[in-house]
Amino acid sequence: MPGTTATPEIEIIAEDIGGGGGGPLPPPGGGDDGDGGDDDSHRRRNWSATPKRYSTAIAIGLVSILMFFMALASAFIVLRSGSSVWVTVHLPAVVWLNTAILLGSSFTLEAARRRLAIADVRGFRKFWMVTTVLGFLFVAGQLVAWRQLVAQGVYIASNQASSFFYIFTGAHAVHLLGGVCALVYVMGRKFRETNITRTMAAEVASYYWHFMDGLWIFLLAVLYLGK
Amino acid sequence: MATEDNNADRPESPQTNFLWRYVFSADHKTMGLNYLWLALFSVFLGMAVSLLMRIHQVWPAVQLPLLSSLGNSLERFAALTTLHGSLMVFLVLTAAPQAGFGNYFLPLQIGAREMAFPTLNLLAFWATAASLLGLTATFLVPSHAAITLWIFSVALFCAASLGNALNFSVTTIDLRAKGMTLPRLPLTVWAWFINAILGMLIFSILLAACVCLLSDRLLGTHFFPLLNFIANQPAGAMGNGALVLWQRLFWFFAQAEVYVAMLPCFGVVTHLVSTFSRKPVWKERLVVLALCGVGVFGFCVWGEHMFSSGMNPFSPLVFALLASSLGVPATILLVSWIGTIWGARVQLNTAMLFALGFISLFLSGGLSGIFLARHDLAAAVVSDDFVTGHFHLVMGVAATFAIIGALFFWFPKMFGRRLNETLGKIHFWLTFLGVYCVFMPMHWLGLIAHSRVFPGIEIASIAAGAAMRNFITIAILLTVSAQGLFLANFLLSLFRGEKVLEYNPWRATTLEWSVSSPPPVDDFGAIDPVVYRGAYEFSLPDVAEDFVPQHIAPEEVDKGSPVRRMRFGK
Repeated sequence: MPGTTATPEIEIIAEDIGGGGGGPLPPPGGGDDGDGGDDDSHRRRNWSATPKRYSTAIAIGLVSILMFFMALASAFIVLRSGSSVWVTVHLPAVVWLNTAILLGSSFTLEAARRRLAIADVRGFRKFWMVTTVLGFLFVAGQLVAWRQLVAQGVYIASNQASSFFYIFTGAHAVHLLGGVCALVYVMGRKFRETNITRTMAAEVASYYWHFMDGLWIFLLAVLYLGK
Repeated sequence: MATEDNNADRPESPQTNFLWRYVFSADHKTMGLNYLWLALFSVFLGMAVSLLMRIHQVWPAVQLPLLSSLGNSLERFAALTTLHGSLMVFLVLTAAPQAGFGNYFLPLQIGAREMAFPTLNLLAFWATAASLLGLTATFLVPSHAAITLWIFSVALFCAASLGNALNFSVTTIDLRAKGMTLPRLPLTVWAWFINAILGMLIFSILLAACVCLLSDRLLGTHFFPLLNFIANQPAGAMGNGALVLWQRLFWFFAQAEVYVAMLPCFGVVTHLVSTFSRKPVWKERLVVLALCGVGVFGFCVWGEHMFSSGMNPFSPLVFALLASSLGVPATILLVSWIGTIWGARVQLNTAMLFALGFISLFLSGGLSGIFLARHDLAAAVVSDDFVTGHFHLVMGVAATFAIIGALFFWFPKMFGRRLNETLGKIHFWLTFLGVYCVFMPMHWLGLIAHSRVFPGIEIASIAAGAAMRNFITIAILLTVSAQGLFLANFLLSLFRGEKVLEYNPWRATTLEWSVSSPPPVDDFGAIDPVVYRGAYEFSLPDVAEDFVPQHIAPEEVDKGSPVRRMRFGK
């Protein structure tokens, strides 16, 4: 008896860590049937937490990300308001183009979700792909902005304003790349054998994406108004 | 049938190797225990370090293992202080009550079978372990690299805590069992939940501060300008804000961090007091509000900083008001504890003793906090020793008492054995008297330091001070050696302790006591738990037993005795 119940336990553990790469994985429900003792383990394997948890997590997680950037922004305001030798860093023009790209990506994302809602999977894929590409373009555009500043001789260590410009854009780009990964994941994953649908995943990803969009507008406003 | 689910005694099959069961297992119970092991290691290391510092302060000539071999310099002493502080605050006070007991018991108490995101949980644990390694290693590397390593470790700890906090809050919101409405949540769960929300807000602030500081050190940015940088600027060019920016960002976090450590302890103590008084929590709703109040005020104490970045003359006043207003929820909690104990037939076991010890320490530590919250009084009366005595009593020692109380309470559930009560009680009394002997004279020292302004008192007070310092050090030696008793009790009981066969040895009401000890891998077996009542239904009229567990349906209450009705037993 103890031997038979131990096997499903391994499966559960291996399953939970996501990959389960090297773990021994006997086919589920294959060999050990007819034994009353492993009922519980089957039950546990079928039990999974409600998919609602993803949207809750994104809502709470966004508040936390907001606090992170608020701390940076408040540091900017404190240092800026107290200083009379503030060296202005002129925002490279490409930043405005990037902003337009990011704003546009929010619209294509919504278009994609609308296609998904009417079960037009091809249309969804098309618009979702466009959104992903726009996301990459934005990050590339930010890199161009960095290159332009470097060409002008403005480095991260040059002055306080430049430090803030690089940190704001860098931290935002890292978060946005996370969003791009989410976009790729939502499109790439086959949502079978799971209680999450693609619609749900797309919704959660869209919250994050729009938030990143709004966050960029906020950071840009802080940089622009505080220069 | 019931013993079959007891997976701890199951012989290891070849596939169930150590690595899969303990290292890569994302099971919330394994996670919780792993955090507790980390905390146990850190608390003893931190205690040893404090002992070294103390001995070095009083008898500087004594050869000490770590200090002397490394050249006895001021820097080494500062490094020891940092090591002691960061181990105790991060790995013990923040991790043990929240991540340790929380991971283990939050899903069990709300009737979930897992945390919301097990993989995230696993990542957070290993990030925490890595940060412990980093924090400890700072002591062994040259100071410039050590500071960078320290900041990096703290940033890692922040990230881990954020992951944990996310897991805790989502689990509480979405994974509650059927019938587990918010008013029926045990107060431990409320405390973990509110704490998680608070953690989500403040750890990102510290993370941002650490990112800025790291980029200052590694990339040469100017977020926290060095004094020579400021000196090179024209006079008055740098505002006051620049000088105190780090202090601001840090204290945004650090002031609230105190409540992050205390909140889960409030939850645990309320739970223990009610269970062992065999009475419902007095004014339970109000206690929930008070816990929320601690969270909100704790958050606002720094929030106030944020809006008064200039030298606003009113800001100390607002700060003082906010800090003092924390007394309101604290008083509510205190009154509720006393109200619960009032007229009860209290079961004075070790867990309850530690809970009562917590209340006593919290009260005496909190009273000296009133002096510190008044900025004018604080400036006039207080010196370092007073502050040290205050926060050690209220944050360090009180929280540790709650942690040990929780350990005595939940040990049978976690390991299927009991901690030895006699050893536990001796340990309690030695520690309880010991910490008062250590930290009360420290308050006194702080007051004496300021009395030197009066001529004539000076010499007498210095003599008294020196004697007092020796007294404190001897008291620390005794208190620390009393902890050997705890360690012995812990290890002995782990392997040889009295076995607990029943599910509910304390006759408690919450869901974790409806399953075997230790709980089965899937927590609740074949039947999903259903909750029918509040968490503190003790000594109800017209019920045979003096408690009704949460999973007992109304029609089941009067039939037979509820103790025998276990979820698993057939």
